[in-house]
Amino acid sequence: MRGDGWGEGSPNRAFIMFRLLQGKVLFFTSLSLDYFHLKHSACAKQSLLLEYTVKILKLCGLTQVRWSRYGPEYQDPQIDKEYYRKPLAQLTEEETYERELRKTQVIKAAPATKTSSVFEDPVISKFTNMMMKGGNKILARSLMTQTLEAVKRKQFEKYHAASAEEQATVERNPYTIFHQALKNCEPVIGLVPILKGGHFYQVPVPLAERRRRFLAMKWMITECREKKPRRMLMPEKLSQELLEAFCNRGPVIKRKHDMHKMAEANRALAHYRWW
Amino acid sequence: MAAPSVSCGAAVPYRLFLAGRVSFAREQGLWKAAASGLQTGTRCQILRLKHSPAVTTTKNVAALRRESYTVDFIKKQIEEFNIGKRHLANMMGEDPETFTQEDVDRAITYLFPSGLFEKRARPIMKHPEEIFPKQRAVQWGEDGRPFHFLFYTGKQSYYSLMHEAYGKVLHAEERQDQLRAKGLFSEKSKSKDLIGSRWLIKEELEEMLVEKLSDQDYAQFIRLLERLSALPCDAAEEEFVGRFRRTVTVQSKKHLIEPLQYDEQGMAFSTGQGKRKTANAEAVVYGHGSGKIEINGVDYLLYFPVTQDREQLMFPFHFLDRLGKHDVTCTVSGGGRSSQAGAIRLAMSRALCSFITEDEVEWMRQGPGFPGGSDGK
Repeated sequence: MRGDGWGEGSPNRAFIMFRLLQGKVLFFTSLSLDYFHLKHSACAKQSLLLEYTVKILKLCGLTQVRWSRYGPEYQDPQIDKEYYRKPLAQLTEEETYERELRKTQVIKAAPATKTSSVFEDPVISKFTNMMMKGGNKILARSLMTQTLEAVKRKQFEKYHAASAEEQATVERNPYTIFHQALKNCEPVIGLVPILKGGHFYQVPVPLAERRRRFLAMKWMITECREKKPRRMLMPEKLSQELLEAFCNRGPVIKRKHDMHKMAEANRALAHYRWW
Repeated sequence: MAAPSVSCGAAVPYRLFLAGRVSFAREQGLWKAAASGLQTGTRCQILRLKHSPAVTTTKNVAALRRESYTVDFIKKQIEEFNIGKRHLANMMGEDPETFTQEDVDRAITYLFPSGLFEKRARPIMKHPEEIFPKQRAVQWGEDGRPFHFLFYTGKQSYYSLMHEAYGKVLHAEERQDQLRAKGLFSEKSKSKDLIGSRWLIKEELEEMLVEKLSDQDYAQFIRLLERLSALPCDAAEEEFVGRFRRTVTVQSKKHLIEPLQYDEQGMAFSTGQGKRKTANAEAVVYGHGSGKIEINGVDYLLYFPVTQDREQLMFPFHFLDRLGKHDVTCTVSGGGRSSQAGAIRLAMSRALCSFITEDEVEWMRQGPGFPGGSDGK
């Protein structure tokens, strides 16, 4: 191997995910291999790259978790129909440039879970995947649809039971209820254990958008799984929790508030954060 | 005496020169020995002594190592390759004049079947240019002085290229200032084909310069070229920049769209094939219909009870706003339920290409994705 070191901006970079065998830590790394002469074809280089990264990882006691057979030059697909239907006259310069550029790029195939259908919702898909156990997507999806149906039924009952003025305030669309409920459950600030002087301190830390969404969904699902009465089914319990979260009450909201209170209590430790 | 060895170019006189200097020095030593009054016996001993004058026998090990492939050697290899190609053509019963490299590869795999898994370990017969790595001839003359003024930087071609490029940048900036002073300066329009071409990648540049580069060197060079291309250039500078750009193909051109076929009733139809994981599908899309999809003789609602799979079938039609306008008959085998749905989706997209405009084909490529990029795993 030529001793060029790990270079930046190389086309032969493999982004791979791996986890430590002992723990649950999951992190990214990128390795690049610039050592191979051009006379090797591109696919030979890719396979060599993969081989070497696997060997290096095995040496460190790490196994690769996710394999993508697409090279780094493959771009993600743009499924939104409206993006393409826009007439050319209305496009700005950057957009025309981007369109021209995409014509020369290779694009990955859209995954099996995404369509251009109007009924598809990325939040619902993510929640369904998080609810899924053992790869049983069919069950997870049916539970999700049953939950949304249960939410809708309850709201319709309430609607019919309410007086004329109150009927305007009753929200019947299960999708808006779902989105609003999850948004209400999102914490603003989180706690991170930081090791200092041999002790772990819970330090308040601002959370990224995706981490907040993840925590809201995770708390919702854990709450429904653990605190469910014995004979109650998941859709019923989940619809209850969603409606309560929509109204800013319920155990998930309480958990969010607990998190905020802890962060407020530990605000003296905030300077332990270095990023 | 230095043993006669294979040498090339300027090294030949260097070696003879070496030998000459050694013998000259030995003669001097002989004369000195005679002058000091030594006898013949000891003179013979002196002759047997190894005389190593300071200047000449310092061997440049790096240069000797690099001289493994000389120009004559490569030429001989090329001649042998060409003759061998003709013999091979004769053996295979084909015309030697029109025997291409692909024919050569096919013939070699036929004559030397190899079960080795490593493809690079199998027998190959390629042009010597592709096999022997490019090497540079010795960069210094008989006196040991290098030819190029940047030799001692270690990367002479790279630095001379940077020097040239920077000279052009200064020249272009000067011209720009002159134009501005005259008031004739106009904003440069980006007429260059920025998208249809790309910069050389680092490996290609290394091959061009026959020199190893680091990533930082490469990045620096590309930045300089971009700076040059941003200034108003004349033809010579454009040509200089053009040497370091390669054209990029438009991806949709890689897939050939078949024209529509017509059956006995005059109905237009088109076939497409698709694969996903281990599932293989073939779809026939009819021009006019009511959105019926038949898979292996079974209606799609019965074949795919899961909603997700039916959404995948619907995807290409919904994307093009052609739901319910086409009838599809398809066959699929292998794989599981999700991969069969994906394979049928791909087959239908390919078949639909014949019914739609080129723009829509490009949208389909960038959206749901298909030919070329998407024999997805």
